[in-house]
Amino acid sequence: MASTGIKTAPASIVSVYQMRMASIWRRHRSLGLTIMSLILGFAGWQLLSTFVFSPFLVPPPVRVIRTAIPMLLSGEILHDVLISLSRVFVGFITGSIAAILLGVILGRISTLHDLVDPIIELLRYLSPTAMIPIAVIWFGIGEMSKYFLIFWGTFFIMLVNTIAGVLRTPIARQRAAQCLGASQLEIFAYIVVPSAVPYIVTGMRVAMASAFMSIIPAEILAADSGIGYLLQNSSMLLQTDRIFVALLTISVLGFLCDRALRLIVDLTLTRFTLPA
Amino acid sequence: MLQLSGVCKTYGPESGGYVALRDIDVAIADGEFFCLLGPSGCGKSTLLNIMAGFEPASVGSATFDNDPIVGAGRDRMMFFQDAGSALLPWLTVEENMRFALRVRRIPKTSWPDVIDKYLTAVDLAQHRDKFPSQLSGGMRQRLQIARALAVEPKVLLMDEPFAALDALTRRRMHATLLDIWQNTGKTIVFVTHDIGEALILADTIAVMSVGPESKIMQLFRLDLPRPRDLADSELRKTAANIEALLAPEIDRSEARIA
Ligand SMILES: Nc1ncnc2c1ncn2[C@@H]1O[C@H](COP(=O)(O)OP(=O)(O)O)[C@@H](O)[C@H]1O
Ligand SMILES: [Mg+2]
Repeated sequence: MASTGIKTAPASIVSVYQMRMASIWRRHRSLGLTIMSLILGFAGWQLLSTFVFSPFLVPPPVRVIRTAIPMLLSGEILHDVLISLSRVFVGFITGSIAAILLGVILGRISTLHDLVDPIIELLRYLSPTAMIPIAVIWFGIGEMSKYFLIFWGTFFIMLVNTIAGVLRTPIARQRAAQCLGASQLEIFAYIVVPSAVPYIVTGMRVAMASAFMSIIPAEILAADSGIGYLLQNSSMLLQTDRIFVALLTISVLGFLCDRALRLIVDLTLTRFTLPA
Repeated sequence: MLQLSGVCKTYGPESGGYVALRDIDVAIADGEFFCLLGPSGCGKSTLLNIMAGFEPASVGSATFDNDPIVGAGRDRMMFFQDAGSALLPWLTVEENMRFALRVRRIPKTSWPDVIDKYLTAVDLAQHRDKFPSQLSGGMRQRLQIARALAVEPKVLLMDEPFAALDALTRRRMHATLLDIWQNTGKTIVFVTHDIGEALILADTIAVMSVGPESKIMQLFRLDLPRPRDLADSELRKTAANIEALLAPEIDRSEARIA
């Protein structure tokens, strides 16, 4: 009896400690893994650029950060970020609004849809990048050409998603509303449009990612400001560390914007994304 | 009175299309509990959709109180098996009720009373702030019932409304529905492929043959008081008759597949 008591006492202390660690780990598992992933990524990057590649071609993270700090402090990065962001937002918002308006109409009027659909099907393969040369001719290298290119990329993604959402409105939901006495306009406004919201939200996230991918080539080829221009300019001057600062900025910016979009959606549209 | 005479329904081209229904004659009296019974694919939903006015008959006439049925009407409320898609998932229980009253143009002053009355009738009053996705399958169907009743239709058209529920919940839904039917005197047209369900509920059971060209083979009238017990000898006799009627039909449809 006594001997078993002595034996189990330390064991139970250890197990309490283990259990506490396990529960802390369980609660913060994904955060822990994210931090670990970032640390490993940066460490791997540092090792690769020190021992495998030339530090000129792949500048180590320490140097990239050392380059970034004065650029951050002088406001140079912020300036470029704001310019690129404003282009993304103007193009994204106007493209989304136009596509949602046209999409709900096309989704409801099938003759019109069938008439316009072949054109949409062809045009949506013209990526914003493919449109850069003509956009420069049409709008010059001012803001308008960038707005147009982002608009172009956003518009077709949002249009296809909005139409899909409208078409997938459950027929039972529309018929039930009809029986209740809803007019066609009420069915459209209270049933069809809200039913399409999950598809529209998905479209917005895809379109946002696409906007971030197309602003860079647009600025490389047709701008004198913005993150893409910073990339292009640094490349011409063979400043690889500044290139890496720009690349890092693009990743972080895209990530933050997607999170911000998700937060806004969660705050305003959650109820429309509830399961049926 | 809900009346169909000589109704045919063809899907696709007029000649050479799929003839789902052929020469359907039914007359459903006010306050009657009428069951349409038949195997899957025999055209029960098609027939109900014609009664609702969602689809026109290809031939023949469909009338309600002697007026031709054209489009959905406020006196005939369709009730769907998939409550999740029939309700508005972005609105709470109470908001779903309000939606019905708003589109029905019922004066706002009476909303609270109407909502209380029908949510209480289906035992959902204490769940009024939940969203449909937070309810069980049976509760969602009860919300659909409450919403349908709130606009006071004369006829409830129910398309296999409880088929997706578990057996216990289904039994409770039968009791709730019969209760409501007895208290309100609504006409109910109830589609099912379950003989037992039809026997428990119906005044009249219309047994349909398998398609194509489905017909109503026979009407069975049940004059028994409710709640009913399937062990009752008259119900068992009727069940045997219906099964005898349907067995060759099902063999026929399986032979066609083979
Ligand atoms: N919109 C439609 N177009 C073509 N065929 C249909 C359509 N709706 C139903 N049908 C066919 O009509 C038959 C009856 O369908 P339905 O009324 O849904 O049967 P039930 O409700 O009895 O299962 C089935 O063979 C089905 O394939
Ligand atoms: Mg059916």
